[in-house]
Amino acid sequence: MTTNPALVESPTVEVDDVSKWFGQKVAVSNVTCSFGPGVTGLLGPNGAGKTTTLRMLTGLIRPSQGAIRVLGVWPRTSPSVYASVGLVPEEAAVYPAMTAREYVRYAATLSGVDDAAEATDRAIDTVALDDAADRKLAGYSKGMRQRAKVAAALVTDPQMLFLDEPLNGTDPVQRLHLINLFRRLGGEGRTIIVSSHILDEVDRMSDRVIAIVDGRLAAAGDVAAIRGAMSDIPYRVRVETDRERILAARLLEESLVHGVSVDDGVLHVETDDLAALGRRVPAVARDVGARITSFRPEDASLESVFRYLVRRR
Amino acid sequence: MKPALAITTATVRQILGLRRAIIFGLAALAPALVFLLTSQALADEAALNRFLGMAVRLYFPLLVPIVALIMSASALGDERRDGTLSFLVLRPIPRSVISASKYVGAVLVAGVLNGFGAAALGIVYGIDTGSWGMVLPLVVGGLVASIVYAALFVPLGFFTDRAVLVGLAFVLIFENGVVSALSGLSSLSPWRLGLSAFSGLANGDVAPLLADDGLANLSGLGAALSWSIVFAVASVMAITLVLRRRDLA
Repeated sequence: MTTNPALVESPTVEVDDVSKWFGQKVAVSNVTCSFGPGVTGLLGPNGAGKTTTLRMLTGLIRPSQGAIRVLGVWPRTSPSVYASVGLVPEEAAVYPAMTAREYVRYAATLSGVDDAAEATDRAIDTVALDDAADRKLAGYSKGMRQRAKVAAALVTDPQMLFLDEPLNGTDPVQRLHLINLFRRLGGEGRTIIVSSHILDEVDRMSDRVIAIVDGRLAAAGDVAAIRGAMSDIPYRVRVETDRERILAARLLEESLVHGVSVDDGVLHVETDDLAALGRRVPAVARDVGARITSFRPEDASLESVFRYLVRRR
Repeated sequence: MKPALAITTATVRQILGLRRAIIFGLAALAPALVFLLTSQALADEAALNRFLGMAVRLYFPLLVPIVALIMSASALGDERRDGTLSFLVLRPIPRSVISASKYVGAVLVAGVLNGFGAAALGIVYGIDTGSWGMVLPLVVGGLVASIVYAALFVPLGFFTDRAVLVGLAFVLIFENGVVSALSGLSSLSPWRLGLSAFSGLANGDVAPLLADDGLANLSGLGAALSWSIVFAVASVMAITLVLRRRDLA
């Protein structure tokens, strides 16, 4: 049983003290983490080192220091592992002169898929690209190209999927479709690693988050656990009540409350112990005759957590 | 075998679109057209000299390298620039298969275009003189030169975005300047290897007429083929090594 939230019990991908530098610039610094079945979000602001990390995981670039193992091997020296891996890169990475069907079939043929034609049809159907599959990729919108790339990654029925900003350029309908697809694939026990700087995307797709800020591992685990581990930053809770000033004054007497403020008739309370506050506020409200209509943590969302992580650096 | 064939086919499609096929197909006809316009009604010997002039001044030192340069530099260079290299290398196939297939694709395109130009020139000469013995040697010469040029320019296209510029400098300054002055370096000049293969296969009248064209250190078809194999193997090995060792994104 591991206690490090950056590590998982049965890893399929292991990152061991990995750093990568390009000349004087350090892109990734001493990152240790692992990935297992399910969807893991690789989260970080632009330039944080997500793409570099993902490229190292796939073997496209080599770590300057440390080791990476995918299914127990370093892909560069054991290319057979690529039969189990699909990659959707951020950059264009499509052949404009090919149709989507040719492109996906090309991927199937290169990966040694037995019935390439059938696998191609299935992958195209999975990303709902059937109607446009015989059009050249040159005429595709960015969102359609993304789906073609996802189809090419899925055509081998991979055990592992590396997705670099996979929802870029997709419209809301396509986005929802792909998010559901990735969740379903993760639910089937595949290792899905999704890199994104869009918090909402990561929040909707991922069971677990690896946050990278300035090339360093900033946090890992599910969002609540990461927030819980930020002991230096008190929780902020929004309390809606009919007697906010009286309740505020009374709550200040509580040792678990670090501060209160009233803003537009809404009471904001800061505490280190969210659970204890949740038990205490109703009792105090009863004492002062206040009626609580809402009690909601304001900063337990992924966005707040991420903001804290970035601000800390 | 399937992946190799798939990569080669895709490479051919990638580097020879319809527009390029038309432009370079027409360009390949240039030596034949010039010969046609300038050599009519010449005596046989004068026609042969004129034909060899086309081969030595226009076909081998200009047409063949330019076609081979532009086609070969695209084979891997475009993949690197377009980001499609990751699509190729993240497959369960040995890097040597990728590099050999890309190389073969480049040779096929350059070879077909240059072979087409050679055949056209040989045929026009045949029509003019009734002698058809130049067609095959010229096509083989063009193929040999294409093989060697592709061996140089496929890796060059991977390493630099200015492959065409660097390649032209190689052809115009090194081959057509330095090697012309130092005939001992002939075996490092792809078009001279092609010319040597042509000379070795053509009838005996041709070799003495080409003696001044830097072929002194080459001994015909055998040497040219040997050198082209050396270049091809070295090139595929170098590309394989690069694909294995370098960062690819």
